[in-house]
Amino acid sequence: MKPIRVLIAKPGLDGHDRGALIIAQALRDHGMEVIYTGLRQSAVQIARAAVQEDVDVVGLSSLSGAHKSLFPKVVEALKKEGADDIPVIGGGVIPAEDIPYLEGKGVHKIFTSGSPTDAIAVYIKQLIHQETISTPKKIAHIGIAVESIDAALPFYQHTLGMELEAVEDVESEHVRAAFLRIGETKLELLEPLNETSAIASFLEKRGSGIHHIALEVDDLHKRLQQYKEQGIRMIHDEPKTGAHQADIAFMHPKASGGVLYELWQPGKGE
Amino acid sequence: MTLSSNGQHFKQEWEKNVEKTMQRFPERRRSFHTSSDIPVDRLYTPESLSEDYINQIGFPGQYPYTRGIQPTMFRSRYWTMRQYAGFGSAEETNERFRYLLKQGQTGLSVAFDLPTQIGYDSDDPMAEGEVGKVGVAIDSLKDMEQLFHEIPLDQVSTSMTINAPAGILLAMYIAVGEKQGVPREKLTGTIQNDILKEYIARGTYIYPPKPSMRLITDIFAYCQEHLPKFNTISISGYHIREAGSTAVQEVAFTIANGMAYVDAAIEAGLKVDQFAPRLAFFFNAHNQFFEEAAKFRAARRMWAKIMKEHYKAEDPKSWKMRFHTQTGGSTLTAQQPDNNIVRVTMQALAAVLGGTQSLHTNSRDEALALPTEDSARIALRTQQIIANESGVADTVDPLAGSYYVESLTDQIEKEAGAYLERISEFGGAVQAVEEGYMQREIHQAAYEAQKRMESKEDIVVGMNEYQVDEEIHADLLKVDEALEKGQIEKTKQVREQRNQEIVDRCLQELRNAAAKQDNVMPPIVRAVQAYATVGEIANVLREEFGEYTAM
Repeated sequence: MKPIRVLIAKPGLDGHDRGALIIAQALRDHGMEVIYTGLRQSAVQIARAAVQEDVDVVGLSSLSGAHKSLFPKVVEALKKEGADDIPVIGGGVIPAEDIPYLEGKGVHKIFTSGSPTDAIAVYIKQLIHQETISTPKKIAHIGIAVESIDAALPFYQHTLGMELEAVEDVESEHVRAAFLRIGETKLELLEPLNETSAIASFLEKRGSGIHHIALEVDDLHKRLQQYKEQGIRMIHDEPKTGAHQADIAFMHPKASGGVLYELWQPGKGE
Repeated sequence: MTLSSNGQHFKQEWEKNVEKTMQRFPERRRSFHTSSDIPVDRLYTPESLSEDYINQIGFPGQYPYTRGIQPTMFRSRYWTMRQYAGFGSAEETNERFRYLLKQGQTGLSVAFDLPTQIGYDSDDPMAEGEVGKVGVAIDSLKDMEQLFHEIPLDQVSTSMTINAPAGILLAMYIAVGEKQGVPREKLTGTIQNDILKEYIARGTYIYPPKPSMRLITDIFAYCQEHLPKFNTISISGYHIREAGSTAVQEVAFTIANGMAYVDAAIEAGLKVDQFAPRLAFFFNAHNQFFEEAAKFRAARRMWAKIMKEHYKAEDPKSWKMRFHTQTGGSTLTAQQPDNNIVRVTMQALAAVLGGTQSLHTNSRDEALALPTEDSARIALRTQQIIANESGVADTVDPLAGSYYVESLTDQIEKEAGAYLERISEFGGAVQAVEEGYMQREIHQAAYEAQKRMESKEDIVVGMNEYQVDEEIHADLLKVDEALEKGQIEKTKQVREQRNQEIVDRCLQELRNAAAKQDNVMPPIVRAVQAYATVGEIANVLREEFGEYTAM
């Protein structure tokens, strides 16, 4: 694969380029080709350099407080050069409250003080290889742990008035699952088939209740690959087969603030 | 020094104990090092002290000044508490100055905005977005008059962080003094005027090195005659350290730059004892406490030896390294900003124990923005607490005789000396800068420090360890975005009201002086008195000298 080309630029009059130089070096260590413009570049100079050098991404650094006027100008100048397909990212001394403004003006991402250089490199790789995470489609289902589906069903069917769609044994997870449709999503009642089921230990520790939320995605394999690179903790590093022949993987609740998420990609047949 | 036989016995006993203890409790690291990669031993003993302790260290106020440049140091007078401040308009900054003076600050330190520092008026296209952001915007004498409104210049000393256009701002200071009825020979203060470190680390250069060095020696010569109490330069290691150098590099590169200025002045026909007493220095106070305290002591000793032995200066005032210190801005974290108060306290303590002449303590919020009034007050109070409550100022150089500190002092002197030799092989600091030598050394050190931090070999509390979930912002100082327009309007009015004929004549005189190798200061003073702007004056010199572009 062709190496990613990056232009690191210092717009405006700011002379602090320790950060810019460190990031340039770190990206080179990640195998990228990095061009550093040097100090005091105007927006037009930066845009022209980006076009001439045929870069994939432009990184801006400013520590003087002028980012709100300078960064959007670079985005504009790239547009004028017909190069608005080159994404612009930025960093420096930038208060968090300025980030939405900059993103609104077309800056792809702002890295604030303390961002590790590795995270920046990973972000650029994803951005350029079009491996950006797409939004999950919908909530595929909400999993609810129950001692017994038979005992729980009357509440859902009669008290709430929901319709039972299907009951299915999922041998790989040692559970029996009952699906109740609600709008474009479902509730999934989960009953352990034996002691080794994760649902059995959940019930033992916490009693019955909400177990997980399943998000429908269409890029499960790619996501898992990216999460691995980013060091995001997963329960399943590889997709497994779940109910309805869907591909699934659970994220570790430590990675998601205590909520158990299942990534759920519908099977081919559905 | 060697140990007595009794001492040897106890030492061996201890070494045995170490071995036993290490089997059960291994040390935290295989080896320990300072920021400059100087190995740190487990224990320092009288054996680390030089046999010739008294000659090597000396007494306070005596050559080679390891223990300080005055005989009584802070027992007579505390260091000058000098907080760097400036933002927005001259009126706003004047208000902050008067607040700080009322709070007990003893000297002023002006931060100029980037257009001023690079010689652009606020209405120059290059200035767009930068007006009033990192300091106060000064275009004409009118702004300078407002900046010092009701601040009597015969009663405060003022430090100005200004380099390439140092002569212009100094000329404005002289002009404001005259309007207040203060003659120039009574003015006290410092201009930074250190262009070499701008090429190396800070970036606010305008002209190429040669004409820049000439501007500096013109200022030396002018001040010697007219402003005998003004420090003509502040040779700065601060920014070199901020750019990522080690403590040893900071000392070495600063002294190398200092030697380049001395060489240039001598070449311009000045006598060393005429200008050397007005040279001042500016260092960083970073995290590693003992290394920093030792650094100041080592730098002082090195400079004294160089001035006496190498330059044959005869006036003891020429041997004394007087320096300002600022705590290390790049050590502050955006995360958990209140922790920065603690960092600043320790850094400030190292500077005081290192015998600084004046001190700026950073504010807790400076990793995020310019300081708010509250933060600036806490920073000043930190110095006042060290001075008034800790007792560290009650005896001179209390760390002297510490086996560790003396050993570090010797080691820093030795390693910085090796760098000086390397730089002299290049032909001096100007050549080393032009070839990018110091820039590369600093970048290398900065990158290694970054990697140590990312691998958590170096822990930064609250940043890569001991984090909390927090919203990083707090109450930040915001510079009014409308200010730029107002400043442009003000300067436009100044241009309309002044006598353009006089301005043109003054600028022509300046052009002639620049071309003819005459001292440029007298025409610059006349030009600012006629309300010529910073940009207009700097542009005349741009046309004569050309502009520097980095590699």
